[in-house]
Amino acid sequence: MAACPYDAIYINPDNNSAEKCNFCTHRIDNGLEPACVAVCPTQAIIVGDLNDPASEVARALSKGKPTVRRPEKDTAPKVFYINASEITLDSTQPQRRTLTATTQLEDKTASPDKKRAASSTSSAAAAILAYGRPHVVPWDWRVSCYSWTKAIAAGLLLVLPSLFLVGVDIGMAWHLWGAVLSALFLGLTGALLISDLTHPRRFFYILLRPQWRSWLARGAFLITGFAICVGLYGLAALLKDETILAIVAWPTIILAVPTAVYTAFLFGASKGRDLWQSPLLPALYTAETVAAGAAALAVLGIALGTGDMSYEVITAVLAVSAGVSTLLAGSEFLMPHPTRQSRFAADALLRGKFALPCWAGLVMSLAGAVFATASLLSGAAPLAAVAGLFFLTGLYAHTHAFIQAGQSVPQS
Amino acid sequence: MKTSKRNEEQNEGFGHLESSPPFEDWTDFVDYDPASWPRRVERHFSLVPTVCFNCEAGCGLLAYINKDTLEIERTEGNPLHMASRGRNCAKGPATAAQIKNPDRILYPLRRSGPRGSGKWERVSWDQVLDDLAGRIRQCITEGRFDDVVYHVGRPGEDLFTERVLTTWGVDGHNSHTNVCSASARTGYAMWMGIDRPNPDHANGRFMLMLSAHFESGHYMNPHAQRMTEAKESGAKLCVIDTRLSNTAAKADYWLSPWPGTEAGLLLAIAGYLIQNDLYDREFLRRWTNWQELMTNRQYLEFLKEQEIATEVPQSADFDSFISLLKSIYGQYTPEWAEKETGTSATDIVTIAEEVARAGHAFSSHVWRSAAAGHLGGWMVARNLFFLNVLTGSVGTRGGTLPNSYTKFVPEPPHGLGTTRTWNETHFPLAYPLAHFEMSFLLPYLLEKRGRPLEVYFTRVHNPIWTNPDGFAWIDMLRDESKVKLHLALTPVWSETAQYADYVLPMGEGPERHDVHSYETHASQWIGFRQPVLRAYRERLGEQIDLTYQTNPGEVWEENEFWIELSWRIDPTGELGIRRFYESPYRPGEKITIHEYYRYLFEHTPGLSEAAAAEDEDVLTYMQRRGAYEITTDVYEEHERAPSDAALRNAEIDSETGFLWSPAPPARSNFRPFPGPFQDNEGRTRVGVLVDGAPKTGFPTPSGKLEIFSSTLHDWSWPELALPIYPRTDAQFTLMSAIVSQVHHSRIDKERSEYALLPTFRLPSLIHTRTNGAKWLYEMAQQNPVWINPEDAARIGVDSGDLVRVESDMGHFVDKVWTTEAIRPGVVACSHHLGRWRLFEDHGSDLWNSSLVEIEEQDGFRRMRLVHGPGPFPSNDADSSRIWWSDGGVHQNLIFPVQADPVSGQHCWHQKVRVTKAEVGDRYADVVVDRNKGQLAYDNWLALTRPAPGPGGMRRPYWLLRPLKPPRDLYSLAQH
Repeated sequence: MAACPYDAIYINPDNNSAEKCNFCTHRIDNGLEPACVAVCPTQAIIVGDLNDPASEVARALSKGKPTVRRPEKDTAPKVFYINASEITLDSTQPQRRTLTATTQLEDKTASPDKKRAASSTSSAAAAILAYGRPHVVPWDWRVSCYSWTKAIAAGLLLVLPSLFLVGVDIGMAWHLWGAVLSALFLGLTGALLISDLTHPRRFFYILLRPQWRSWLARGAFLITGFAICVGLYGLAALLKDETILAIVAWPTIILAVPTAVYTAFLFGASKGRDLWQSPLLPALYTAETVAAGAAALAVLGIALGTGDMSYEVITAVLAVSAGVSTLLAGSEFLMPHPTRQSRFAADALLRGKFALPCWAGLVMSLAGAVFATASLLSGAAPLAAVAGLFFLTGLYAHTHAFIQAGQSVPQS
Repeated sequence: MKTSKRNEEQNEGFGHLESSPPFEDWTDFVDYDPASWPRRVERHFSLVPTVCFNCEAGCGLLAYINKDTLEIERTEGNPLHMASRGRNCAKGPATAAQIKNPDRILYPLRRSGPRGSGKWERVSWDQVLDDLAGRIRQCITEGRFDDVVYHVGRPGEDLFTERVLTTWGVDGHNSHTNVCSASARTGYAMWMGIDRPNPDHANGRFMLMLSAHFESGHYMNPHAQRMTEAKESGAKLCVIDTRLSNTAAKADYWLSPWPGTEAGLLLAIAGYLIQNDLYDREFLRRWTNWQELMTNRQYLEFLKEQEIATEVPQSADFDSFISLLKSIYGQYTPEWAEKETGTSATDIVTIAEEVARAGHAFSSHVWRSAAAGHLGGWMVARNLFFLNVLTGSVGTRGGTLPNSYTKFVPEPPHGLGTTRTWNETHFPLAYPLAHFEMSFLLPYLLEKRGRPLEVYFTRVHNPIWTNPDGFAWIDMLRDESKVKLHLALTPVWSETAQYADYVLPMGEGPERHDVHSYETHASQWIGFRQPVLRAYRERLGEQIDLTYQTNPGEVWEENEFWIELSWRIDPTGELGIRRFYESPYRPGEKITIHEYYRYLFEHTPGLSEAAAAEDEDVLTYMQRRGAYEITTDVYEEHERAPSDAALRNAEIDSETGFLWSPAPPARSNFRPFPGPFQDNEGRTRVGVLVDGAPKTGFPTPSGKLEIFSSTLHDWSWPELALPIYPRTDAQFTLMSAIVSQVHHSRIDKERSEYALLPTFRLPSLIHTRTNGAKWLYEMAQQNPVWINPEDAARIGVDSGDLVRVESDMGHFVDKVWTTEAIRPGVVACSHHLGRWRLFEDHGSDLWNSSLVEIEEQDGFRRMRLVHGPGPFPSNDADSSRIWWSDGGVHQNLIFPVQADPVSGQHCWHQKVRVTKAEVGDRYADVVVDRNKGQLAYDNWLALTRPAPGPGGMRRPYWLLRPLKPPRDLYSLAQH
């Protein structure tokens, strides 16, 4: 639903399943036109076989000037519009104003800019003469939260085995508690993912009947594989068996990276969301994951008590990765936004309704890097934990803003 | 072979899909369950035709009755219906939702507390009928023939109920006409007698409309189909509308004159045609009453004096008439019009050229729009039809036909009764030319009447919500000294039903019988609405006596209700009423509904033969098909010679050219028709001579199209007897009765005054008739005030901000929607939406009404929103999924009554002040001062020129009038 550039997929409340128009296949099978064609007083809709040059629909297309909605999305749409106005096809045209139930009693003191972003909490602008139903934003806080818990889970067991493999001795307790924490956050991740499904039982379909081209299915398998590694890693740490740990460390790292980064590709596959098409997204997710792992460890350090060596390495990793991820996230500013949709979304993110969580998130992430550096320079260990908290809070805020702003563009 | 199998073969590559299942499959149509797809789960349906009851267009529907559950699962188009041809607007399929609406009223209810207290108890139909029959019988026996009133919103049928009232003898028909089409009717009637146009768009070369018929209005669906066809074959469309409607957006030309200047704009087009000799000279000579004008020297001098004509020809021949036309209409130049109307002179010339090019294939249409909006709106219709007269496109192929050419109303059994009084509350002396009852003034007129109505039916009518000054209606309906018994005949709750004594549930479209014939295109046809479950179960062999046995709960159909009620009023026949309700086939016994319609169909030309050809009886034929086309030979009825029967005894009056018959043939078509025209000897006019040949002519005093209306002239409006529009200051004073209340000279921008257009429709709704159609409310919920960005900036508001819209008697608070689609200086607000109820669980449409509370103190009234629409518990899961919380604002409450002194139309457009909402204002607030409403009523009443007219008459006898009383009741002298 979030991926569809046309906002054409919806949840049928009778069976909680995603549905879309199928051109009334049950009627076509019965020799009848789709209902929209049969009913239309002005016969504005023609249906037929595009491959048959003699069909009315093929002839109409050869005569008129057919256009499609959002051709740049490569969805090869089979719904054509003849001599349609750009305004009716592109929902972000400035001439189109929305007036939805959400705008009815809003704060009248808001500036016009704020108001424009506010009215776009719906992902659908009304057509010129209608005041329209707001389409519900499909991905809410649960998706932001899932992304955040997953970053922590993956980050923990990306940083720890890496440290282990490069030979930084931080003690088995770190590995054990790190794995436990990772498992906890991974569990949260799974719970959020499943609860976000309108039809939670459908989760098994993803595993049992995977659609391998989908990052959703790939991600489910990556998380499952990673979860096994987390279990084994924790077990090895519990047994304090360095040999097993060394063996498990490699697949853990190998699975932790795509577990963290696949979300970037999942967002990227959402062709309807131009903001999420940034090529820097995988790099951003990698840096954020490392930083989230380090930040979690820095906080965990307060609980575990830190050996000098581990504290400094972890804080250094945090300082660098938090700095890099803030830079990458902040680069949204400098990125070109080539399409109207991406400009619309970037506007909501940087100046509009989501500016506050976005900027607060970036500032706190940066504060994470600064405090971590200060901690290193001053040797004050508690500062590292503060840095970790700042970064994790900032990460959530920014992730949420990014996901919501991406969906704020009216698609239909 | 099953449809599915055959179509599968046909549809190799799905190239040959059908729009509807073929007729031969209707008794057992097999479809695939959409929810089970891709599995092909077959379901069996019986398809039974009926007619949509949502708007007046009466489009054909096919009810899909699931044979297993006996439920009406959906309502789709009836391909055999000649007007709608299997296609429907959103409101047609929504009928299925209305039938299953969990908010329906299923049993008769009687109030068990004070009026409007929301307390009800269930009663039996027997109790209702007996109570009612007793009261009506008493009125009749005591000669109080104006104490029983049936007030109808949506008739949806021809003649049945009007006939009932005539059989009782009461002058008790009230309608919604004067909040709707009174002005358009008057404008058309003053030309051709007949008060409705039927534009033959399908064959038109140029279509000019002051309406939005691609999207709304009746007959939107049939018209839109034909407009599309015409456009496909090269015809062009011009829309005159202040608002950029969807229709205007699809037009070749959109003219947006200042509201109130439309009549002037049209005269400029007429002036161009006349000045450039682009008219049909022969048609004007043969078919207008130019001689009557040219021989009235006194009137011609009047025209000169008032500078209406620059000069007046001395001779009275046709050439002089043409030069008189030039002298009058030559002054309405495109340049003048540009200044007056704000439309470019070039555009006006372009349109005029298009009109001239189209010639006889020029179709035009106005029904409400500007005509219903303005003081003098009837002149908009008159000046529009002037263009048809000039181009000779009256009744022609591709032109505009008088509606009666295409209307057929079959003769009812035992004919009609006789109206036995003149109801002064419906037809007051102040409005002798009104078309028709001064319905929306009822609260004021009852005040004057001084005695109560004994029985007041509202039928599919919601005056509290629909009419202006709704609080006056609330006060009237609460007052038992005004209305002793109020019965709401309605399928659902409405604002008005809340204040009723009895709420009597009546069937939706597929639950009742009706026959009707409408001016959808160049064809004379009848449609048959029927209770589809009854028709289906009877086909299965069940014996069903009354329709309510197959309807939900105890929902009756009106027609059986009227038969039963009439029978109980006069069980013995002593009042002479019962005989009208006896079977024409079983003497002395009560007629059944099937017998009634069988009789009608037997009296429809050609229908018996068509049925016989299919080996069916007429009733079965109509039950299976739902519509019948009588003829498409409908053009130029006026050119036809009168029938031989009419000519048999006719005598020619050489002076007038009229053909008089002492014994005219009985009519077979009971369509509404002006006249009869009778002379002092009691002879009836059956035709007119045109160039020496007998012709049917037009039902006007002259028998011709009346460029000079002797009726307007003789009934005190000489300055408005020609198609006219004021040009000079003196003329603006002289003709003040056609200067709109929102004319630009009357709007003071500095005071933040605007013209409010409160009448536009949303394509998916129809007044309060779409009650319970959940799918339609999911499409539209709010009615913001449209405002041009320029004006929005001046007021300092943007989309979503609240404004106060203030009329002469109060204000409402609504949000604005800034849009270029409305002209600067003008604001618009759809009259759909803004429904309200007083009680949480009932009172109006639960799907989209808001709960409100009303405060009152003396004349002061304030309505405040408690909460908007929201989920409610019911057996329909969708009612828990209502996501909208805004049901709009009820704007009509703040409109004072503004009765046009000529047509009697409520002039809808309002002069308002639009300002930013003030501190304390809340969304959907409505505040009204009733005393100011009274003041407005008085002011508008002062514009009238009351009867008596010539001969001491209350009203010109020839004009159309529902329940037309005998001639002697027209005379004031006898009283």
